[in-house]
Amino acid sequence: MDRNDPLPPEIELAQLLQRCAARDPAAFRLLYDRTSPILFARLLRMLRRRSVAEEALQEVYVRIWERAAQYEIHRGRALAWMVTIARYCAIDLMRRERLTLVGDDALAEVADESTAEPGAFEKPNHFDDCIGRLSQNTQQCLTLAFVEGHSHDEIARLTSNPLGSVKSWIRRGLISLKECLSGERQTA
Amino acid sequence: MISSNRELVDRLAAEYVLGTLRGRARRRFERWLVSPQVRVMVNDWEQRLSGLEPSLQKVTPPARVWQGIEGRLELGRSRRPAVRWLAIAASVLVVAMVGLYTLRPVPPALVATQRASIEADAQTIYWRVELLGDNQELSVRALATHPLESGKSHELWILPAQGNPVSLGLLPARGTQHLVLTAGQRAALAGAKQLAVSVEPAGGSPTGLPTGEVIHVAPLSPA
Repeated sequence: MDRNDPLPPEIELAQLLQRCAARDPAAFRLLYDRTSPILFARLLRMLRRRSVAEEALQEVYVRIWERAAQYEIHRGRALAWMVTIARYCAIDLMRRERLTLVGDDALAEVADESTAEPGAFEKPNHFDDCIGRLSQNTQQCLTLAFVEGHSHDEIARLTSNPLGSVKSWIRRGLISLKECLSGERQTA
Repeated sequence: MISSNRELVDRLAAEYVLGTLRGRARRRFERWLVSPQVRVMVNDWEQRLSGLEPSLQKVTPPARVWQGIEGRLELGRSRRPAVRWLAIAASVLVVAMVGLYTLRPVPPALVATQRASIEADAQTIYWRVELLGDNQELSVRALATHPLESGKSHELWILPAQGNPVSLGLLPARGTQHLVLTAGQRAALAGAKQLAVSVEPAGGSPTGLPTGEVIHVAPLSPA
């Protein structure tokens, strides 16, 4: 497996975003060059179709340019902030394009975890511990929703579980995760 | 209204961030994002769920994506003055021919002082509104086509710090529209923090106040 360049340092990305907020097109181009391969991979993961992912990527960077000034007041880190914009954009496109991504092809791709490049994102403290306390079913539902962008219905079909169970696993899982993360933070 | 139901809003915020809040419910929730409390809840969930973010092999997008972005944002504009002047000359000619004297091309010297994005869907901006030269002029650019019944128009409003909404005119279905603001509009904009969009009969509200459903409220932010 080929190794790509190491991820760009967060501080540099934050500075580029600030320059974008000051309407510096050169900084925007640099930001695009540094981060578009990461965001494109993330969009492909959710949207599967290259043409749709390309359209989404365009929309995402228009948004980033538009909202660069809002970055400062955001508490997250630069790359995480951009990935969030990409995720919301993909969710929106799925609905508009009425993409049905629960065919057999999608299933095959869901199982493919071979291209992982670890260490790209810093997890909240004790995240692995807290997520590990949830049931396997709950973990699977949360991952299918967050990582693949699947809806409740799609998750129910993909995992052959009743829709009601999927909804309640997700709802309870989110509450447990919040409680665990805040509890751990206090004792840490 | 919202604060009395913190638990429900927090649950919706969680599912909004997770991505399982869909369709109309998602759009409704997005309108609440103007509230700082709701924003904090969403930010907290973004932080919590970021632990689910997968590590992926990078994929370089094709060059046409950047070209599309550059075109949409008109980033190359300042580097091609000839094209820009040609465009201005053409729009002057069109304005003169049509006789719409209220629509004037904005002199390049005026800079945006405030902005608002009218957005209904998660990451789709329908219109970008810019107030230029300290509220002297308005520039509205249609970025995506907003669904609209035939026989209806979208009207843009100032929500002033006090008093009734004040119209900023009809929103263009496509393209960019410039408007020189009146003293009344400028007074209403002083201290205003939000713009709104309502659905009105074709040609605009007959009463001077919104008569149809207010479908968007967007915050004004300094440019």
